[in-house]
Amino acid sequence: MPKVKMPRSTPALDMTPMVDLAFLLVTFFMLTSSFRAPEPVIIDPPSSTTEKQIPKQVFMVIIDQEGRAFVDITNASVKMKVLKKMLAQFKAPGLTEEEVKQFTGVGPIGLKMGEIKTFMELETTERTAYVQRGIPYDTAASKLDKNELYYWAKFTKLEAHNDYKERENEAKLKNLDFDKSNYIQFAIKAAANAKYNVIQDIIEVFREAKVKEFQMITGLESGPES
Amino acid sequence: MAEIQQSGGGNDGGKKRAKKQSTRVDMTPLVDLAFLLLTFFVLTSTFSKPKVLRMIFPEKLDQDNPQLKRPEVKDGLTILLTGDDKIYYYTGSLKAETEIIPTDFTKNGLRKVLIEKNAPLIKILKNLEMELAKANETDTATTNRIQRESKQAQQESKLIVLLKHDNEATYENVIDVIDEFLITQIAKYFVVEENLAEMETELLKKLNEQ
Repeated sequence: MPKVKMPRSTPALDMTPMVDLAFLLVTFFMLTSSFRAPEPVIIDPPSSTTEKQIPKQVFMVIIDQEGRAFVDITNASVKMKVLKKMLAQFKAPGLTEEEVKQFTGVGPIGLKMGEIKTFMELETTERTAYVQRGIPYDTAASKLDKNELYYWAKFTKLEAHNDYKERENEAKLKNLDFDKSNYIQFAIKAAANAKYNVIQDIIEVFREAKVKEFQMITGLESGPES
Repeated sequence: MAEIQQSGGGNDGGKKRAKKQSTRVDMTPLVDLAFLLLTFFVLTSTFSKPKVLRMIFPEKLDQDNPQLKRPEVKDGLTILLTGDDKIYYYTGSLKAETEIIPTDFTKNGLRKVLIEKNAPLIKILKNLEMELAKANETDTATTNRIQRESKQAQQESKLIVLLKHDNEATYENVIDVIDEFLITQIAKYFVVEENLAEMETELLKKLNEQ
């Protein structure tokens, strides 16, 4: 019997469908994912069953389990204006225009106004190592002028209102639709194991700054089984 | 590249033919890169966006204006939160003989108590919801009426729930309780800013000693 000769050929695999799929997934993840700004603290918020989405624009106070307070403002132009007002209020060393611009990208900040200049002069890589001790928020009425968190909230409320009016006027001039939901809302993101007394102090600061409505940021929990 | 032409090279009549070149492209590096990117995005992306609980606190009471005093709660439910994730409740106003009852955060604990207390409002809201489900979506008059009625029912609800806490209570516990309020559709609840009253602390102590 003659030997059956197998044709010699390299085992080639058609990878086209696989590549198609891989790129489809890559595109999907690239478009859906949003990057988180580096956070100085990792917060594990409690969970709740609400389905309300986080507002587009927030002034967020972050509380870690030791009670340190950090603030972040998602709107860059408001953040810059508030920062300038804060520096003037507390007579802190001023920042250059470049540093002010950079400040909008650093994410949540937990520093006294006096420290911000030193912090901004650091290299980007050195900033993560800088220990942030939190923004002072002594709620005693006599110490209100030293309560930096109160001024953060107060100035943000003012600037947020100005920003809203500005955009409304602009939309009116250009005859465009105005997105009314797009205003800065106040939010608290606190660690689940933080003491409630601390959160209450923050709420007091908000109330002092005439902020009555705010959002508590929580993780998602499965709905109630009935 | 991916495939090497095995045939050819034979002597076929001495005629010189242009070698048939394979049009295949080696896709291995491409696939490598694609999967590398894929893995990166899968691992870094976060899916569940955080949710929010809306809170409204009344304006600060003016110390000099005695007219703005907090109304006394006569026939309400008071929930006490203490450290170690403990939770208690009592009904009515606080007296020396008030019975403080311990409960827990599970479905059969706090939620059962709240559903029992809030039964009238839950019933009204459920009926309205059923009506809304039956109603035609385009019938705005009916949907508006149902919305108005449910709002009115919430405003007229007699049940007032107070949430009090001591120094050791954690944020998580408070959020859990507020979440239960939302689930059981409590219309009027307040998170009290002061710590537990002295009498409450003593009653709790007595309860724990037993």
